[in-house]
Amino acid sequence: MAAPFEVTNNGTETKLVVRGSLDINTAPALAEEIDKIIAAKPAKVLCDLSGLDLIDSSGVAALVKLYKGVRGAGSAITISGARDQPLAIFKLLRMDKVFNL
Amino acid sequence: MATPTIQLTVPGTLRYRNIAVRVVAEAARLVSGSGQRDPNDLLDNDVRDPFDTAVVSAFMEIFNNVAIHAYRRSGGGLIDISITPGERELTIEIKDHGEAFDIGDVVPLPTELDEATLPEGGMGIHIAKTMLDEVTYEPGPPNLWRLTKRLPANQVASGRS
Repeated sequence: MAAPFEVTNNGTETKLVVRGSLDINTAPALAEEIDKIIAAKPAKVLCDLSGLDLIDSSGVAALVKLYKGVRGAGSAITISGARDQPLAIFKLLRMDKVFNL
Repeated sequence: MATPTIQLTVPGTLRYRNIAVRVVAEAARLVSGSGQRDPNDLLDNDVRDPFDTAVVSAFMEIFNNVAIHAYRRSGGGLIDISITPGERELTIEIKDHGEAFDIGDVVPLPTELDEATLPEGGMGIHIAKTMLDEVTYEPGPPNLWRLTKRLPANQVASGRS
């Protein structure tokens, strides 16, 4: 199964695109990639969730790790595009306000 | 005619999770009437209706819980899932024969959420309980989760025959 994410870097910002289902089966691979993103200390991270159609608490935990890691390193992060079930989960957990969705 | 019940038994590992999730999603659609998928939608999963969203989100968390807490240490077993789609509600029973889960160990989420208090775990049962009308757990054997979601009063039922 293809990884439900893609990472690109243009030198100044890192873009993470997450697609499909981010769940207990797919989140561990994303968490490994997130470790690499944080270690590279990019000035800015863009996380595009417009292709994400299903998320569970493991997926949420991976995105929280990304958010905390990037912000903790003093970098900027923008999370955008959440809709349908993923947006409902972020709202239920009240993370939509923190992530500014 | 008595309300039919859909029975599904899957190995209690995460490998079989998506099969169960898809069956539950289709059963939720029977009740919500969200029905036909858009054939032009290339997304793998089509969960948009609030009723379907609640049912699928909660079920995923409970399945994860069973696979991890009941069976991961004990080497596995089966999960028996009974899904009963009524006229205006959906009931799902999930039985396992693994280690019992102490629901009292679930830590509430922080009341004030900000960057510092963003949780990185412990959200699953909270999601299930908040999304559904009823969530009960009876330690076994077999351990039994019972999940119920009702259509809101203002939502028209599917007219399922």
